[in-house]
Amino acid sequence: MQSQIETAYTPEWESPPDDIVIRARDLWKTYEMGAVQVHALCGVSFDIKRGEYVAIMGPSGSGKSTLMNLIGCLDTPTRGRYWLNGKLVSELTDDELAYIRNKEIGFVFQTFNLLPRASALHNVELPLIYNGTPAAERAERAREALRMVELADRMDHKPNELSGGQRQRVAVARALVNHPCILLADEPTGNLDTATGVEIMNLFDRLHHSGNTIVLVTHEHDIAARAHRIIHIRDGRIDRDEATR
Amino acid sequence: MEVLNSAQALPQPRRASTAEYLNAWVTAREAFWLALETLRAHRLRSFLTLLGVVIATTTLIVVMSVINGMNLYIANHVANLGANTFVLSQFKWAQGEQAWLKARRRNRPIRISDYEFLKRNLTGYKVLGATASMETGTVIRYGGQILYDVSVTGVTPSMEDIGEDQPESGRYISASDYQHASLVCFIGQDIVSHFFPTLDPLGREILVNGTPFRVVGVAKTIGTVFGQSEDNFVQIPLTTFRRIFMARPSIDVSIQAWSAAQMPPLEDEVRTLMRVRRHIPYQQSDTFGINASDTIMTLWKQLTGSIFAVTIAIVAVFMVVGGIVIMNIMLATVTERTHEIGIRKSLGARRRDILTQFVIESMVMAASGGALGVLLSLLISRLVNLVFTSSVPVSAIVVGVGLSAAVGLFFGIYPARKAAQLDPIEALRMEM
Repeated sequence: MQSQIETAYTPEWESPPDDIVIRARDLWKTYEMGAVQVHALCGVSFDIKRGEYVAIMGPSGSGKSTLMNLIGCLDTPTRGRYWLNGKLVSELTDDELAYIRNKEIGFVFQTFNLLPRASALHNVELPLIYNGTPAAERAERAREALRMVELADRMDHKPNELSGGQRQRVAVARALVNHPCILLADEPTGNLDTATGVEIMNLFDRLHHSGNTIVLVTHEHDIAARAHRIIHIRDGRIDRDEATR
Repeated sequence: MEVLNSAQALPQPRRASTAEYLNAWVTAREAFWLALETLRAHRLRSFLTLLGVVIATTTLIVVMSVINGMNLYIANHVANLGANTFVLSQFKWAQGEQAWLKARRRNRPIRISDYEFLKRNLTGYKVLGATASMETGTVIRYGGQILYDVSVTGVTPSMEDIGEDQPESGRYISASDYQHASLVCFIGQDIVSHFFPTLDPLGREILVNGTPFRVVGVAKTIGTVFGQSEDNFVQIPLTTFRRIFMARPSIDVSIQAWSAAQMPPLEDEVRTLMRVRRHIPYQQSDTFGINASDTIMTLWKQLTGSIFAVTIAIVAVFMVVGGIVIMNIMLATVTERTHEIGIRKSLGARRRDILTQFVIESMVMAASGGALGVLLSLLISRLVNLVFTSSVPVSAIVVGVGLSAAVGLFFGIYPARKAAQLDPIEALRMEM
């Protein structure tokens, strides 16, 4: 588990109180490119409170994708500590991370990432399969989630029978079906036209109003402006952390 | 307060709980349906992939069926002398060529006098009967029709009690027929269908090598052995047989014991009596043969044992080849579906979930190849039955499908492990 030295570097008082859903302390991510070490993140620290609507902005190559992967528990930091919903997840094994991803995180991707051969309903059921929810309950909860994104009438359609906006709504339903503590969206409007993009952003607004914590990764200012707080990343560090309203 | 929180924040080692076993079950079931779906989506590819397994299973089951069929056949037809019955005859059946040549020089025929000697001296038997046969050179006529090479057998009336020849209509050769050496006969179904397709044969006279015999009974259908009809016979009293055809025939004596347990002592008693009667010295072997069903069965089992061993070797080779093809296609599938694996991992699929998914897919694929092989072999078994004999044992079906599934499991593990170990970020980046 944790060594004595690391404990000394991260004092007990850093462990987050209940209202902090994400606490990152001195996160480093270093890639070995042959002999060269590339620091994608160099000591990033921040807190995100429950119910916040945060955008992470930065140009490409700034390290925001790396940060998103860390926040989304798809990866572990080289150094530093990361608490999600009170759990120290920076030191978990792969399978434990999978469990956290399943329980605590709802992903929305730029390219939707739906299974092409499965119906919308089945796509939404997927996270429930991996926590062993019985079939009947699974279908019921997936239907409920699809109703929430107003796709109740498209449940049996495959992704290629849906429009881009509808696909992204299916993805949002899938993200929400397990009642995660954060909704993590990576350029959710990147593959959509402006009107559909606005529609999806309105959906995010609504979800935020109903109490969800949303973390949005984007490089578009008008999208980021929807959030209540913007964290600017540049060269692997936090450049600016500002409240928009 | 915050110190307390810190303690809570430490990750707890997770142990497998009931919920997790349930979890595994849900994933496995999901994987099963997914696998069937994939099979359906790529019908031709799956079929070609599975050809090896299909051929292996078919070979295995067809050979098992033919051997099983012949086992049943031998047990039912060739080796069935009647329940708990053995036969004393000139030669021991089913022995090696050398032994047979030797016996041919030494052994003397069993005579009527031997039969009468046994009848007088043997104790504790249930039925004792004697038969003498002419297999070739017989001519049977009725009206204008002729049948050649019908088996003409002289029998004692006691042969009915052994239970192999049962009258369908009329009666068997009676004690009175025997005593008076009457010209009566008991005929098989082939004779009936040839001479009397529409008539009642009872009471009619047929000519056996020129001598008229009155039909007193018709036997129940027996069937065929190795394509040779067993219903092509005429039975007459042994006394009549001796009076008209052969005065001093070589006979077979059928001896029925009261129970299976009494067979060995009864065989010993017969052997001792015969050796005493023939004055055979202590060191020398019998000059007669005592034959029971198991004599034939033992020989038969030895023969099929080696056929089976060869089959197993061939099937093993097929299965390995089939398994490698499956492994190859599964590796391709994993590459093809890397993005899907990434999606699943991002949604919380653990390594073991992905592993299960692909192993089950491989197993379902292989098992359906096995099932196809079973269907194919059932079909082939049907065809074989037209000319020969074959009976698909249930165990063959279980073994066929089970073995295929095991091959799928074994050869699916490596591709599935590769899939399970994919890095979710890398996998998600792989666009279709």
